[in-house]
Parts: sequence; structure tokens; C-alpha cells
Amino acid sequence: MTLLKRIGRLGGLSLRGVSKRFGTLDIIRDLSLDIEDGEFAVFLGPSGCGKSTLLRMIAGLETLSGGEISLGGRRIDTIAPGERGVAMVFQNYALYPHMTVRQNMAFGLRNVGTPRDEIARKIDTASQILEISHLLDRKPGQLSGGQRQRVAIGRAIVKQPELFLFDEPLSNLDAALRSRTRIELARLHQRMQATMVFVTHDQVEAMTMATRIVVMNQGRIEQVGAPMEIYIRPATRFVASFIGSPPMNFLPVTPTGEGGGFAAVRLADGSVVNTAVPSASLSGAGVTALGVRAEHVIPGSGAPARVDVVERLGERTLVYAVTADGSTIVYDEPGHVAPAIGERVELAFDPSHALLFDANGITYHADPVA
Amino acid sequence: MQDDSRPATGDRLILGAVVLLAVLWIAPIAWVVGLSFKPNEVLMRSTGGLIFPPFTLKNYTDILNSSAVFGWMLNSAIVAAGQMALTLVLASLAGYGFARTNFPGKAPLFVLTLGVLAVPEQAIIVPLHTMFSWLDLHNTYAALIAPRLAFPFGVLLMTQYFRAISPEIEEAALLDNASRLKIFFRIVLPLSIPAQATLGIYTFLHAWNDYFWPLVSATRPEMYTLTVGLASMQTNFAQTEGLGFLMAQAVFAGLPVLVLYLFFQRHIVAAVAGAPTR
Amino acid sequence: MSTAAAPLPAGRATDASMRGGIGQPAWANMLFVLPYIVVAIGLVVVPMVLGIWLSFQDYDMLGGWNGGVAFDNYVNLFGDRIFLGTIANTLLFVLMTTPAFVVIGLFLAITLNGHLRRHAVLRSVFFASSVLSVTVVTLIWRLVYLPDHGLLADITGLVGIHGIDPVTSPTWALPAIAVVTVWWIIGLPMTLFLAALQQIPPEIYEAAALDRASRWRTLVSITLPSICRTVVVVAVLEIILQFQLFGQALLITGGGPDNRSRPMVQYIYESGFRDLQLGYAAAASQVLFALMLVAALVQFSLGRQRGEA
Repeated sequence: MTLLKRIGRLGGLSLRGVSKRFGTLDIIRDLSLDIEDGEFAVFLGPSGCGKSTLLRMIAGLETLSGGEISLGGRRIDTIAPGERGVAMVFQNYALYPHMTVRQNMAFGLRNVGTPRDEIARKIDTASQILEISHLLDRKPGQLSGGQRQRVAIGRAIVKQPELFLFDEPLSNLDAALRSRTRIELARLHQRMQATMVFVTHDQVEAMTMATRIVVMNQGRIEQVGAPMEIYIRPATRFVASFIGSPPMNFLPVTPTGEGGGFAAVRLADGSVVNTAVPSASLSGAGVTALGVRAEHVIPGSGAPARVDVVERLGERTLVYAVTADGSTIVYDEPGHVAPAIGERVELAFDPSHALLFDANGITYHADPVA
Repeated sequence: MQDDSRPATGDRLILGAVVLLAVLWIAPIAWVVGLSFKPNEVLMRSTGGLIFPPFTLKNYTDILNSSAVFGWMLNSAIVAAGQMALTLVLASLAGYGFARTNFPGKAPLFVLTLGVLAVPEQAIIVPLHTMFSWLDLHNTYAALIAPRLAFPFGVLLMTQYFRAISPEIEEAALLDNASRLKIFFRIVLPLSIPAQATLGIYTFLHAWNDYFWPLVSATRPEMYTLTVGLASMQTNFAQTEGLGFLMAQAVFAGLPVLVLYLFFQRHIVAAVAGAPTR
Repeated sequence: MSTAAAPLPAGRATDASMRGGIGQPAWANMLFVLPYIVVAIGLVVVPMVLGIWLSFQDYDMLGGWNGGVAFDNYVNLFGDRIFLGTIANTLLFVLMTTPAFVVIGLFLAITLNGHLRRHAVLRSVFFASSVLSVTVVTLIWRLVYLPDHGLLADITGLVGIHGIDPVTSPTWALPAIAVVTVWWIIGLPMTLFLAALQQIPPEIYEAAALDRASRWRTLVSITLPSICRTVVVVAVLEIILQFQLFGQALLITGGGPDNRSRPMVQYIYESGFRDLQLGYAAAASQVLFALMLVAALVQFSLGRQRGEA
């Protein structure tokens, strides 16, 4: 099917030194990024980090204050949005309310003078893929939220763009529909092998769908990498705290200076924690925090704490315990286990998964395996 | 104010007062309508006995025979329709330009539009009249239609309305390779039909009821609009030659507008509510 | 200069919404607003300027242009007792009608702000008169005011009062016009107040009910303060509108008796289009415009001081 065969091209999306200023506000600062052909890249970050702005600059809906954007080797930031070979699915779908689904999908093709029969063919193919063929003659007002979203995707597919952009398309769906749509989008990506850029603040969406995640904060890229890489080896404290549910535990610590080749730190209550981080890799600003995920906290013997809140999720139980100095640590237990509130526990931390953070938020990891 | 459940006596009293007020309000119109069906001779003697016979339709047939009235109505209709159409065009274009596009000088031009709002018709009617005299344009439909086109209410209404349309829809159209003009005609304009209806009806109504400018510009009887024509017939009031006839004229002239009001009340009220609030 | 990046408000806070526009600025986009701007300049700005110029000229439709006369027109205006009288009449008229509009309009809006059929019907009644043209309205009311034959005479005759003729009475001519005007356009302030009342969130009333507030208390402490700004807007609006009094005076009383009901606009009309003294009329127009602006500004700032909504 010609619709699905992607046109061979050199290189994917390339951003160089992109910046965006609005008045005196620096929204994006000197951002460079390469997204390869066929990738499913997710821009992930909290509200206001600039991810939507970046997406809109790629689409051509915002101007650049500096830098360049290229697609397939061709510079696109200087040409009109409609001519960039880019299609976008909006958060609120942005379907034309007074046109039928068919007309919505045909609009873009008609504007470039595509012959009638070709338009009909493309609409047919796209609507079959998305299973909306039976909706073609309805208007957006008569469709459900999920159906509207498919139409929005369909409108993008028929244009056979080089790049698909998604602006938080799942945030308007309820939870059940969201997880189903996630799977369908992943399938769509595999089937079409198209380059997709997806913006979201939901790290679950990012982790499940992305080939690579671009974590953004305050207009800058904090880290780019595959989901598991970002999960296991976050580059900064921000990334470590943003990815993963429940969020990573952070404990204020001071370095002890001993421990042989590996760094050891002292908790607020005085107990010492050993890590697998090579002391030689520590540099400059001193270590100020220890980070460890809930699944790497081992109840048994170690730092004393008191159980404060217990959340039973079914497949696992999250236990929030408070240490002597008032820090809260959350750890995992199997679903059938549920400690009593007030119960005293002792917590240890798996050294091979303990991370150290300095005052600048840089992470120091244990040596990677391979 | 919520008062659905049990109407207190205080409420009933107030409502009763309002109903009384409403009756007083309708009284002049009802009185005139009623008397328009009475023969002139009877009225010369007394205007009491409203609900008693005799009744007659002669006053109305007299109007229908006096062909000037229809000429006036035709003029009013042409002027009103022309103003309505042109205002819709100008206001829609300008409204979209202000609401959704960017161009150099946009802010000062918008301030200019707001400033025009502050200028009352009477302050410029003398020089306006002089200008049209120099151009020898008086007693034409063009002269009757033109001045009100500058009234910024339409532009401001459409600007507000276009702003309220989700920008994402137009952005999607930009990505669909639609030119600005195409976005305007194929996407935005069809979505603004409710606002067009409101503005259209409002403009038509005001054009139909316009008095001052047609009075000074349409000085030849064949160009009289309904308002001017009607006023011209009132000068012989003292003679009361045809009290019933006058009443019938009032009814006749007011009827089209009241019918319009009946059908389009919502639009008219909506336009009025939005008019001064900028 | 680079400043520290601050987080944006979530969502659409980008070029588009902040400037209200989409896409790049372009000269071509100006073509959208150009037709209207041309019309506005040609039919409002140019006449305004022309009017100011005219006011300094001795320009007679019959005698032609006799050159500039500096402030002579204005001096003559303020020496003309009739003109000064029209200023007084107009001011008096505004003072008579504006409070009536506000009070009656507010009263109607508050009492008729309901969902029931009777409310809608009554609202229709009070609004209906405002769709009539000034000539229809004046025709109706001239008939009403007819001595011996009019509705007013009929009614006062019922209670034994005869010889009522407001139109020819120097003291009652202007009030008679005021009554007509309020009757005519009460729909406008009523509608504006209704719109403002409907903006008040119903939860506030529910909270007041839970706080056991009486009807009167609710009205005074909650409803009225919430629409404070609208009251000012309506007052300013009515002032501006009633300064423009023309048709009713011209057609009902003709400005008499004794020039006691002649408004400024009628003076402009007569000197410009009957006596054909354009320069003089233009000067009178400027005075009217200036007075309107001052009155509106005064009312606006007074309203501002009294209470911020």
C-alpha cells in the first residue's frame, strides 16, 4: 500500500540552537536535538517547560527567535506551515465543526490540488486503518471524543507527511480510553514506520510509547534517551524525580569520605549507606542527596522508620514511612502485604541502584552493566 | 434572582406593579391601534368609546391608495438592505483581520476604530452633509447608505466573535495548506453565522429607523424613506383632518418593525445587549 | 539580554493568544481591515476635521465661503441666548432622563430576571417600544398628548381635570418629551442590567440563602454591588444618548413653546440646514461634542470613585 510506504529520505528532524523569546521571557534557550527517521520521540516535561512551544515551532505556528529547524535535510523554519510536510494532531482535535469527517480529511489535499479520485482513495485507506469508515458522513459534533481523535489522526495520515506531531492528544480522554489509545498509537507507529513527535506531561505515556524520550524543563533539554535508560540512569535530579511512579525517594546526605573505591554517604540520622558509585567519578560540587526508587528500598534491617500511610494498589502496596529526621521514604511491598500504620520498620537501600546527586542536580551512577 | 419556589406576597405585589406598568406601557400603542379602526368623523367629536362600534377599515384603504407610502417603504427597504449587506461584509473582513491576523499598525488602527465609536452622528452631520453636497451625491441611495457603514459596532462585534473561535481550528487549517483568505471564507465565516444574523438584523433595524441623516440628505419626496415621509405628513396636525387616518399611518409604519421584532426578538435583544459593552 | 527563564502559564500562552493573532505578521493581512478603515476615515475622521475647520469659517450655503473668522462663530454662539437656552434644556433633559432610565431599568431587570413565561412576556412588552422609529413614536405620542382628543386628555378627563396640554406649556414641554423618551427606550437599560444580573453566579445566592439573608438584604448587599460597574456604564451610555435628543423635540413640540424644549441638536439642525449657516452650525456641533465628552468623563470618574466592582 503506497500510503504506508515511507518515502526514503536522509535524516529526520534536526533542531540547531533553537531559541524562543517572548518579550523579555526566554521560553526556550539554545536547544539542539536530532530525531531520526522513523523514531517515536516524546517531549516530556511539566507544564510551562516549553515542550508545546517547541512543537508549535516545528509545525510553523510559532516563529523562532533564533536557530534553525530542518526536516529531511531541508530547512523548514523559514517556510509556511502547510508546506513543511508536517501534520499535527491537536489537543482538542481542532476538527472543522461545519464539515463532515470526509470533508475534514479532504480539506488539506484539496488545497494542494490533489485530484478527486486520489483524495477518495487516500481517505478510504486512512479511514480503514483507523476504523472510522462508517463515520465519514457525520459531523464532528455527532462523534464521541475517541472518534474525534481518530478523525484528527486520519486527517493527518492522508497528507502522508514526513513528520507527525501530537500535542497532548490523550489528555482529554478518560483513563480507560487513554490506555487503549496508547496501544493503538503504538501500533500505528509500527505499521506506518513514520517519524512521530509526541508531547505530553504524563510520564507513563512517554515510557510506554517512546523510542526516545526528550525530557524538558524550563526551556532546556535535561536528557534525551530511550525510556529504560532514562529510568535507570537519569542524568539530573529533575529527570529522576519526574520519571517513575511513585517518584524517587530523595534523602539529604553528606559524604563520609570512606568506603574504598566507592562513595559512601551519611543519612541525617547518622547511619551510613554504601553505594556502588565510584568515588573517582565524583567531582566538583559535593554530594548532597541520595536517590533510590521505591522498588530498591529493602525493608529488613537498616535505617529506622515508622509506617505513616499505606496505599494498596492491588498488584503492589506502597508504604510511606517517616524516618527519625522527618523524611518520608516510600517503598514497595507485594500486593498481599500491608503493614500497620505506626509499625516500626527498618529500611536498607540497594547499593547498586542508589544514585547520588550534587548541589547542581547532576547524577552520579554506579557503573553501567556493559 | 431565584424565586422559583413559593412566591411571597411581597413578590406578588411587585409583580402586580410591574404588570400594571406594562399595561400603561402598552396603552398608547393599543389606543392608537384601536382608534385607527374608527372613522374620522366620529373621532372629530370624541375619542372615547374605543371599544364600541362603529369600526371601519377606511383609514387603511386610504393609506393603500396614497401610493407615496409604498414608495417610502421601498426606499427604506433598499437602504436598509444595502446597509445590512455592506456592513456585514466590511465588519466581517475587518473583524477577522483584527481578531486573527497580524500586520504592521494593527494596534493603532484598532484604537482608531474604538475612537470612531466615541463620535456621535450629530457632531459630524453638518460637515458630512457639506461633503456630499460638494460631490453632488444627495438624494441618492449611495448617500443614504454610506455614512452608517462607518459605525464601528459591527467591527467590534465580529472581532469579539472571531476571537472566541478556537484558534486551533485555524492553525489546523494553516497546516492544511490553506491560505489566509481560504481560511476566512471556508472555515471562519461559516462558523460565524449566528453573529452575522445578529449583526444583520440589528443593522437592518437601525437603518430602517434612521431619521436625521435621511431628513437632510433625501430632500426630494421621491427619495424619502419611511421615517422622513411619515414625519412630513404630520405637519398638518392642527387640522386633525383625519385623526383616524393619522393613527392608521402610525400603525402601518410601525407594523413591519414589530413583526420583525416578533420573529427575531432574540437576535435584536442580543445585539442590543452587546452593543455598548466593548 | 537574557533573563532567567520563567515557567509559562500552562497551555496556550504563546504568540497566538497573547497577540490575538495567528501566524506571521504580513502586510497582506492588512487588506482585511482596509475596506472598513477607508470607510471610517472617509466618513468619520475627514468630516470631523472638516467640521472643526468649518467652525472657524464664515461659510454660508447661500453666500459661499467668506474666509476664516477665527473664533467669531463661537463668540456669537455664546452670545446667543437661544443657544445658551438649548444647552440648559439639553442638560436638564439629561438630568431628567438618566436617573429615570437607571432606576426604572434596574427595577424592571431585577423583577423580571426569571425563567417563567410571564417574565419573558413582560420583558418583551417593555422592549417592544424600542424597535419603533422616532417618527412612529412621536406620532403616537402627539396623538396621546392631543388636547381634548388625546389619550392623556381622556384619562385626566375621567378624574375631572380638563385642559391638560403639556406640549404648549413652557414648564411641561420638556418633561413631556422626557416621558416619551423613557417610554421609548427603556428596553436598552433593562436589557443591559439583565445581562449583568445573569453574570452573577447562582452560587452566591445559594450561599446567601444558607446565611439566612432576607430578600431585601440580598438585594442590597449582594445584587446591587455586583452590578455596580454596569450601573456606571448604563448611566454614561444614557448621558451620551440623551445629549443627542433631536427627533422627539422636533416633532412633538418643535422646540417650543418659547424655546423651552429646544435641544442642542435641533439648534444645529436649524442653523445648518434651515438657515444654512454651516460655519455657525459646525461650531455648535463642536460645543455639543465637547460637552458630551466632558459629561461622560465626569460620570465615568464619579462612578469609578464610588465603587470598584
